[in-house]
Amino acid sequence: MYKGTSASSGIGIGSAVIVEEAELVIKREAVTDTAAEVERFKGALDQTMKDTEVLAADLATRVGEKEAEIMQGHMMLLMDPMLTGEIENSITGEAICSEYAVEQVCQNYAMVFASMDDELMQQRATDMLDIKTRMQKVLLGVASVDISALPAGSILVAKDLTPSMTAGINPANVAGIVTELGGKTSHSAILARALEISAVVAVSDFLTKVKNGDTVVLDGSEGVVYVNPEQSVKEEYESKREKFLKEKKELEQYIGKPTVTKDGVHIELVANIGKPEDVEKVLQYDGEGVGLFRTEFLFMDRTSMPTEEEQFEAYKKVAEVLAGKPVIIRTLDIGGDKEIPYMGLQKDENPFLGYRAIRFCLDRKDDVYKPQLRALLRASAFGNIKIMIPLVTCIDEYREAKALIEELKAELDQAGIAYNKEIQVGVMVETAAASLIADIFAKEVDFFSIGTNDLTQYTMSVDRGNDKVSYLYSTFNPAVLRSIKRIITCAREAGIMVGMCGEAASDPMMIPLLLAFGLNEFSMSASAILRARKLITGYSTEELQAVADKAMSFATTKEVEDYMKTFAG
Amino acid sequence: MVSQKITVKNVSGLHLRPTGILCNEAIKYKSTIKFKFGSSLTNAKSVLSVLGACVKSGDEIEFECEGPDEDEALKAMIRLVESGLGE
Repeated sequence: MYKGTSASSGIGIGSAVIVEEAELVIKREAVTDTAAEVERFKGALDQTMKDTEVLAADLATRVGEKEAEIMQGHMMLLMDPMLTGEIENSITGEAICSEYAVEQVCQNYAMVFASMDDELMQQRATDMLDIKTRMQKVLLGVASVDISALPAGSILVAKDLTPSMTAGINPANVAGIVTELGGKTSHSAILARALEISAVVAVSDFLTKVKNGDTVVLDGSEGVVYVNPEQSVKEEYESKREKFLKEKKELEQYIGKPTVTKDGVHIELVANIGKPEDVEKVLQYDGEGVGLFRTEFLFMDRTSMPTEEEQFEAYKKVAEVLAGKPVIIRTLDIGGDKEIPYMGLQKDENPFLGYRAIRFCLDRKDDVYKPQLRALLRASAFGNIKIMIPLVTCIDEYREAKALIEELKAELDQAGIAYNKEIQVGVMVETAAASLIADIFAKEVDFFSIGTNDLTQYTMSVDRGNDKVSYLYSTFNPAVLRSIKRIITCAREAGIMVGMCGEAASDPMMIPLLLAFGLNEFSMSASAILRARKLITGYSTEELQAVADKAMSFATTKEVEDYMKTFAG
Repeated sequence: MVSQKITVKNVSGLHLRPTGILCNEAIKYKSTIKFKFGSSLTNAKSVLSVLGACVKSGDEIEFECEGPDEDEALKAMIRLVESGLGE
């Protein structure tokens, strides 16, 4: 048995498929027979074309015409006489191998595209690099990993999964995911939860312990993985899996029910999303809106910023699908552990204490923040959008952002463009500073949302990704609990809405405390909503006061956790 | 050689999709098909070459066709750009 971090609940039983994206080593090798080398290149080009054609057809039927269009664009580039001509000339003229000629020429074009001042053109750089890699893989005989076409019952095993790799996963075929790296809040974990695939991450050296075809059993709730287990273990997990699926079915009866406590307190139960497509899941699990739309995903896996127009379409889509239900959209939160290469961010010595989120946005108003805020304002004409500002530490940051929003509103007025004049602007309370001055913020902002992941990390001064100190990272620490309680109290006293969009909002041990403190809104992965509704409707906030008082009386994390574990069962 | 000037009218100018439509048509002809834009001469059969020219909506370009089917080629190019290149 191997221990890891539970990332997405459920039991996975299946055969291991190890996914390794081979690193391509491209060297400048001299060739003597350049004519033969040109033929070799032509052969590889042909093969790449054929592969791309198949990929385009598959995408068109499986995903959609729009995704296929990108591949059709790639085919046009591959056919381009200028590109292939230059590569052939480079092989002949410099007497170098095809791999290197492809590298040079494609990189060159990618650079030219990237440096154009037209954003749509800049995106073509990604296409250029993509076809470069595909041609080189064919030349080197390296097979591409196609995650979308795995046999049913596959357990994906990888060092780490990039968001774009995870996006290709088909939940019908993948029974579980095990990775060596990552954490509960890493992107692969978040996406695994969104796809409802059981996942265990951060299993040390797992790749040395498993080979393709091994039977793997994993428990995503407990964070354990077995390789070729004994029959008895396998049977035990098969029955566990059945129980899990049965429970899931039971939760479905909570679809369409209101989220009201036994003593009549209405709670807003909403979802965290990363991409516009995720709203489908929100509807499926009867989410009452969106409590956190992480906009960074729109900016990732590409080579230039999404335009105001692209952002507008994305925000508008979510607002329209949710038809009047609240949609809280967090403005760009990059820096820290979330890097975006084309933004030109320097490596910070202490990324979490450095140039990130609102600090970065206020410094890059013209090219980054204004287009995003303008897109948000324009989209607000199509639904109930609220703007949330991340990582505030002082009121000045909020005031500056708010002033910018007012300035953009005036611009839109002048241009006669519609937007919601009453749009709410709130802050994400996730720093110790914001918590300490929550009373000051509460007087000016429209709402709070507590981000427990960062709040815990900043309050405890602990890097949640560092194994040696992660034992200190607990939302049940008395310091963190006091901070959360204080934030909620300040909001309630000022009469503004207060929500929570961190992992803790869906934790069965934390929910009773949050209800007692007076939290209005709980935001979580869509798949956790029904369980939370079941729990919330079973409690009375009045009766929970005594539980909260007791929990707050303990001096150590362990005592709080033990007590809440016993209480919540 | 035959040539003719025309103004690009479609909204996004010669972007990837319109360019693809243009190039796909151009490669059907035996003649060389180029267009002048500013000081540069662009090969209309190459997506990269056309994209690199950065032609925007409202820009005027001049097609130059030379070869056995130059008249048909020029007519086809003009017709295509006039039709808005699929936009």
